Amino acid sequence: MIEFPVLGAKWVIGFIALFHTAVASLGIGFAFFVTVAQIIAYRRRERSYDLLAKRIQLIHVCIYNIGTINAIGLVFALSGLFPQFWSQIFVQFYWTLIVEEFLFFLLATTLTFHYFFWDRLWGHKKLHIFLGSLLTPLFFLQFYIINGLGGFMLTPGFGEAEHSIQIGIIGWDKLGFYNPSFLMLQVHRTLANVAYGSFGVAAVCGILLYLHSRPRIRQFYEDGGRLAFSLGFIAFLSLPVVGYFYAHVLKGHANEAYINLMWGKGDIVAGGVDWWWLKHIVVAGTLGMCITYFRKTSGVQQPLQIPGIMTYSIALLYLLFYLAMGMVMTWTFFWFMLAFGLGGAVLSLHLLNYHKGSGRAVYLVVGLASFLTVMLGGYAREASRPRFVDRISHYDNIFVPEERQPYLMLDIKPEDIPKTAALPKPEGPEELIRKRCIGCHTLDRVRTYSKENWDTVVRQMAVYGLKLSDEEREIIVAHLKAGKPY
Amino acid sequence: MDLPVIETPVAPRWVWMEEVTYSHIPIATLITAFLVLAPIFEYVGYRKKDLRYDRLAKSMVFFVMILYSPGAALGTGIPMFIIGLWPEFWSRWSNLFFWPLMVQFMFFLMDVFFLFFFYYLMWDRLQNRKRLHIFFGVMTAIFGLLIQAVWDGLGAYMTTPSAALPAVNEPVGWSAQAFFNPSYPYLFFHRFFANISYTMLLTGGIFALKHWRQKDEKEKAYFGFVADLTFTIGFLTFFFMPFIGWGFAKIMQQHAPVAFHAVMGGHASTYFIVKMCLIAFFLLLGGAYLFARHKRRFLLGCITAGMAGTYLILHWHPAIHWLPGGALVWRVFYTVLIVAFVVFLWSLRGRVSVSAERWKWALFSSGLAAVFVFALGGFVRERSRQPYNVYDQLVKVEATALETDRWLTYKKCVGCHHQSPNDLARSESKDWERIVREERKRPGVEISDQEAERIVRFLKENYR
Repeated sequence: MIEFPVLGAKWVIGFIALFHTAVASLGIGFAFFVTVAQIIAYRRRERSYDLLAKRIQLIHVCIYNIGTINAIGLVFALSGLFPQFWSQIFVQFYWTLIVEEFLFFLLATTLTFHYFFWDRLWGHKKLHIFLGSLLTPLFFLQFYIINGLGGFMLTPGFGEAEHSIQIGIIGWDKLGFYNPSFLMLQVHRTLANVAYGSFGVAAVCGILLYLHSRPRIRQFYEDGGRLAFSLGFIAFLSLPVVGYFYAHVLKGHANEAYINLMWGKGDIVAGGVDWWWLKHIVVAGTLGMCITYFRKTSGVQQPLQIPGIMTYSIALLYLLFYLAMGMVMTWTFFWFMLAFGLGGAVLSLHLLNYHKGSGRAVYLVVGLASFLTVMLGGYAREASRPRFVDRISHYDNIFVPEERQPYLMLDIKPEDIPKTAALPKPEGPEELIRKRCIGCHTLDRVRTYSKENWDTVVRQMAVYGLKLSDEEREIIVAHLKAGKPY
Repeated sequence: MDLPVIETPVAPRWVWMEEVTYSHIPIATLITAFLVLAPIFEYVGYRKKDLRYDRLAKSMVFFVMILYSPGAALGTGIPMFIIGLWPEFWSRWSNLFFWPLMVQFMFFLMDVFFLFFFYYLMWDRLQNRKRLHIFFGVMTAIFGLLIQAVWDGLGAYMTTPSAALPAVNEPVGWSAQAFFNPSYPYLFFHRFFANISYTMLLTGGIFALKHWRQKDEKEKAYFGFVADLTFTIGFLTFFFMPFIGWGFAKIMQQHAPVAFHAVMGGHASTYFIVKMCLIAFFLLLGGAYLFARHKRRFLLGCITAGMAGTYLILHWHPAIHWLPGGALVWRVFYTVLIVAFVVFLWSLRGRVSVSAERWKWALFSSGLAAVFVFALGGFVRERSRQPYNVYDQLVKVEATALETDRWLTYKKCVGCHHQSPNDLARSESKDWERIVREERKRPGVEISDQEAERIVRFLKENYR
């Protein structure tokens, strides 16, 4: 194993990964915004939105390449610092990563052609918009794959994923990929990134508003910023709902991570700060700012008008979410969020009045806040996880690097960190059930049948193609009828 | 190490790997060459107050911008493919070169920052601060070259490893001895000049076609000018290659003799000969064009000197027995051929009009031939190492018996008393057993029974 001086392996990977995430996550939001702006420009015959889309796409092209280079750095760093983890991820997900690579290439090419042939395709606007609109699904597919792997690291699916390795999966672990938190992570990240990217576009408009003094150009960026801000806010709406279900999945399949998040344990608290709380404080502040902004600018005509009822619904939804969190966790959490939400609202009001109705400062502050949210969210997810390697007994001999750097962490000794108990290796009927049933479906399905039907069910499975000797069938039926664990 | 190796569907693993590397490398090398030349053209334009150079430089950078994202995305694919298909090689190799890879990552980041934010985006804004802008271009070029320098160190190690490949669990991270291996400078300079030569020849060919298709007189004049400029640069740069290539071959002969023999008469020699034929093709067409197009003695003198240099390399090279009558016939043959060619070129000087369409296609064909030469060069280098990932240290997982037996034969037999593996063809199939038995008795020859059996098998099957 190679040591990384000063920072240590974990922090280096953390920095590169978060840097990559910060840049890559903007992509999906930028791509979505560009398509929306282009469609509006085309339908309303307003060239200003098309110009704005082009500028944003230029920024997108530039930062996209930084993201790409970061991905290369991440591959290099993981190879040297976490060699066995990385190699074994390839054993399970090689073909997934190759498909990801192919999508990556398609995306890079489409993005490049979309921007650099903007003027040449002027006479074929529909084709050009279509080309741009391909970016969003391509980004989505890329996320789909990465989230499968990311979800696996947090909720490896316990017995199923472990077993899929034992039966010789090389390059494509379906059960590991479609792990319990995969869907929630996918939806959560997609929506969060659309919100983050759109707020990012608004922040760019905010900066440009500060830099320009000509009224026409300022109006141009004001309109663009408002459109992006509205898009971001709509995506923001659904996050607490998805987040709630995500937490629910964690509670069932990664209980320790759930407890770490909710009660501030493990690496979630570092340097005396609960980083997950901090993320929610930033979210509450953002929410307060957004609601006030839309309340104040409700009279302004724009292509994407957010109805007042929607604004208040979001406020109510978040209030309910914080109330629920207060009941589950601690009321301090509720009061904190309320205070910061109100603080955000007051700040937004002040900034709007100070700039005579212009949203430039609000765009900028919310853009920064959403950046912080994404960073803190990513950090919290990684930090909540007890060491990945401890979760899979198959990898018992894996090398565990020195993840905790004492001068960067709280004063906790590594030996004081509670270890997750390795799952006992199934034997006898349990092993037989796992080997035979899991070839076609997950173990969850086994739980859906009642005890008295097992004779019929196993016979039915034999009709579907399950190969069992009479002796094996009797063992399995007896075990399941007795209601024993598997 | 018992890491499972991923099997590839449809095509063998090397085809998959070649597909991704041959998609990435031409793009990456073109980017590197363009980024080196763009600030030079920009500077020349600035000094001569000639806007055509500035336009050329800007169009090159624009083209780089189009290629950069797809090229980088494909570049990410290379380690991805290797990790799965040759896991042990990647683990041990990246273990040895962890720090160069991390430094490489920083160079990449710097390159992107300078290229995108300072060089491309600032082109119009810094029109009045041209020197600063050219400085940004130079920085971009430097980082691009540094990226190439790191890759070449790692790549050259695979052919001439000067330090042992560490085990997976033996943390190394950096070895100066391994990085600065014997063939490293040769590979770097060979690739540096090759990149400039092939990209400029190709660019010249494409500009020539654009010149031919242009209707607007001003545009036609511009494309005619840049086609001529870039093609001439590519053609002249080529003449560095035989000298560097000669040094490269010498180093291989010394430090990787089996790979050397593979290229010089061995299993990779067919590709090498095709490569030489393609070089002859573009020298013929390109030389004819330049002599017909230009009257300047200095330029034509340089080309003649380049031809003389190439002749010198042929002269140093041992005689090839392609013609009956021995070495002298061969020497006389190519001497007459080259002298006749140079005389023919000088006879063209300024006498033929190059405005006809066929000349444009000739330039384009030369450019295309140069691309194939470049691609074949890399292919030959990789084939010469078979069946090894790292020369004489790590055998590829898919190595066949034929490949390992061939390696053994080259290693044990060819190095001592033959000039090339072709010379083995002198004996009959039935004699091999006897010949090998006799050779084993010679002092200093160490061939075990099992090795002798493999050598005889290989010779019987391939040299009869």
